[in-house]
Amino acid sequence: MKRRHFFRVSSLAGGGLLLSTCIPFGCQTRPDPLQPDWEPNFFLRIRSDNRVTFICSRAEMGQGTSTGLSMIAADELGVPLEDLSIEFADGDAHRYGDLQDTGGSNGLRMLWDPLREAAATAREILREAAAQKWEISREQLIVENAQVTDPETGKSFAFGELVGLASTLSAPREIRLKDPSEYRYIGQPISGYKNQLIVRGQQDYSINIQLPDMLYAVIERCPYGEGTLQSFSADAARAVPGVVEVIEMTGSEINPSFDYKGGVRAGVAVLADNTWAAMQGKKALEISWEPGPNAERNDTDLIRELEKSREESRTPSFELQDGNSVFDRASSILEATYESPFQANACMEPLNAVAYHLGNRLEVWVGSQAPSLDREYLSEYTGLPQAAITVHNHPMGGGFGRRFFCDYVEEAVFLSEKVRRPVKVMWTREDTFTTSKYHPFRTEHWRAAMDQNGQPLALAYHGVVSRPSGYRPFPYGIPVAFYPFVPYQAGDLLPRASWRSVFAHPWGLSRESFLDEVAHRAGIDPVEFRLQLLDRAEPVIDQKSLPWVGDDLYVQRLRKTLELAVEHSGYGQPRTDGIFQGVSAICYNTTYCSQVADVSVSKEGAVTVHKVTAVIDCGLAVNPSQVKAQVEGSIIWGLSAVLKGPITVKNGLVQERNYDTYDLLRISETPDIEVYIVASDAAPTGTGEPAVPGVAPAVLNAIFAATGKRIRKIPVRREDLMA
Amino acid sequence: MTTRLTINEKQITVDADPEMPLLWVLRDLLGLSGTKYGCGAGHCGACTVHLGAEAVRSCTLPLSAVGDRPVTTIEGIGDGETLHPVQQAWISEDVPQCGYCQSGQIMQAIVLLQQHPNPSEEAINRAMQGNLCRCGTYPRIKKAIQTAVKLNS
Repeated sequence: MKRRHFFRVSSLAGGGLLLSTCIPFGCQTRPDPLQPDWEPNFFLRIRSDNRVTFICSRAEMGQGTSTGLSMIAADELGVPLEDLSIEFADGDAHRYGDLQDTGGSNGLRMLWDPLREAAATAREILREAAAQKWEISREQLIVENAQVTDPETGKSFAFGELVGLASTLSAPREIRLKDPSEYRYIGQPISGYKNQLIVRGQQDYSINIQLPDMLYAVIERCPYGEGTLQSFSADAARAVPGVVEVIEMTGSEINPSFDYKGGVRAGVAVLADNTWAAMQGKKALEISWEPGPNAERNDTDLIRELEKSREESRTPSFELQDGNSVFDRASSILEATYESPFQANACMEPLNAVAYHLGNRLEVWVGSQAPSLDREYLSEYTGLPQAAITVHNHPMGGGFGRRFFCDYVEEAVFLSEKVRRPVKVMWTREDTFTTSKYHPFRTEHWRAAMDQNGQPLALAYHGVVSRPSGYRPFPYGIPVAFYPFVPYQAGDLLPRASWRSVFAHPWGLSRESFLDEVAHRAGIDPVEFRLQLLDRAEPVIDQKSLPWVGDDLYVQRLRKTLELAVEHSGYGQPRTDGIFQGVSAICYNTTYCSQVADVSVSKEGAVTVHKVTAVIDCGLAVNPSQVKAQVEGSIIWGLSAVLKGPITVKNGLVQERNYDTYDLLRISETPDIEVYIVASDAAPTGTGEPAVPGVAPAVLNAIFAATGKRIRKIPVRREDLMA
Repeated sequence: MTTRLTINEKQITVDADPEMPLLWVLRDLLGLSGTKYGCGAGHCGACTVHLGAEAVRSCTLPLSAVGDRPVTTIEGIGDGETLHPVQQAWISEDVPQCGYCQSGQIMQAIVLLQQHPNPSEEAINRAMQGNLCRCGTYPRIKKAIQTAVKLNS
């Protein structure tokens, strides 16, 4: 087969490989070897040819972090945004600590201070370098447009001219961060650099990588979560033109007790000289599996297992305002169980990774949310020290939590070690549905203690799931008892992945639905009920027990989003168009988001979501266009979960195989979405996930308003709502 | 087997199995990686290219079925450094998030606008219905198509 490579591929000394895709902005001039680059810190590189690069430690999967962070770097350093190149950092836990692996909508929140300090420090060193060259005081100099200017003489030094001297100077002791009035980019709706690449088809996803001598691998994985390979025949697969190798994949586990466990499924890999040949080879494999303990289990069995587990766990592990003893004074009890199914992340870019194992060192190219963790796990997996492993991180065609789990990277490494050639592992779409990792099936049980007048005294929450345990912050002022989580009794039916907003989704769904149930039982308007409970809460809630959350929760900020959502949506105003409204109020880490869903239900039980009004308080909105985009996308994500999906399991096998059976919300089904951002000068928090958990309860509460039927299980089915 | 193709106005000869879908010919053999693999079954639209004046799913189109119709991919819609109005509209409305489906969305939208220069919302929904986006950029896709109408006129 004759091949034509449109990619330029070059080999570097030491066996390292550099792949450069020719892009109009990214074709970098070669650095002058006599004028070394200056890297004042691990976020910035300034070259003598005046090029400035922001090295983005956080992963980009569409949430826009790299754009927002580059705006912060450009403002604080004093360079035009369009002149700032962006490069993604290799995985390096020693260098970046917890500022690299990307989850929990924490990117901007965690980098806001360190990135500004790093950029401001570099700026001040450049100012000092110019001052020394002119032999004047640095205070009078202006730093902007990637140059230092003396306003008295009008003379300037470009950053590149200062690099040599700057690299010999130490940082001034006191660094002043810019005042918001000096920002040129922060706070502006900016269409990011990545859009320039994406509309040309030039975004640098790992799926596009081609290396010399590279093989394309497709794997038939064991379709049973805990199953193993019994036997296989590869004769037919080897006969497919283009197939080069067939290799048994040994199942493995790395760090199995950790939520983000590593390891690969047992399977058989077909390696070929193009993707399609590998896919044809996979189809030709003949394999017998040993199904293991899940051979006869269904997802519907889990409800029974989970409820049984719940009944056995009778002692609260945590209470607020003496929730447990207050509960004992109940005259009557209201209780409800909510059910959230397995879900797939269904990222548009199927999982893939390229690895080149050279014996004593390893190089990997991947779109990963957790390049630091990948490197650590690959070290354990291969026995190589981390220093011998390079994980090049690429932008991703969606991550949503799935790409925090590095099984697909380990598969590429496993195969490259066998063939000692670069190997790209490519998951088929069917693989991403049938043999992946999933948002777990989960039930949530809520009870309310009501007094003799039918008013609520206290709540009790009992969630059940495999792992991880933990509940999200509770912002309401009512006594509450939390019961400990218990695991699936018969072990995991499917392996766990994170899924956009993770456990805040079932938690938010059940909490905000149940509050509605209690409000209706008590005869109070659901919004009024929430406002009362928020006013009775402690104004500041300590979240420090949850290390990844860190900051305190301000209940009045949540209240404000709810008030504004009511105002903007026209909630509570009489209408005659058959549309009913439901509400939710969510705090996710330290972002606050309230939503009102406008919904109608036909006599045949068809649900139409006409409009969603969302109000978000994410502190300072660094890029309001991206904040709104994340809220819009989160709402559409949430609607797919309420109206579409889910993943189901029969006899241990996932039933959904492609987008025809795991459908996503489509353009015609997308409601009008109005997003309002609360003006704030507080430090930015996160926006990638906080609008997800409030979607389902707002819609379910609206369905109750429309029909009087309380739906406690998603997705909503037509038969549950037929008149 | 050798097949002659016209891709982005260039004559190209490829040596490949005639059953190989056009998608993999573009991506693996020709290095035109702007066209994306999403589902391999025509369900998601990420692989959409133009075959003559039609938008087609290249993941289910065998090489042998291309015939002498010219193929246009995302790499071939601009005019040198000048972007197509639909690409410009995608940037000005800040449409992409992860961007993976957007080549297909743009290719689909271009054909929509060729057939309906000023499409109703219903026509937009109908034409774009088969193009999935997991990030949820649909509201902005709608806006950008309307912006492209203005840029075209």
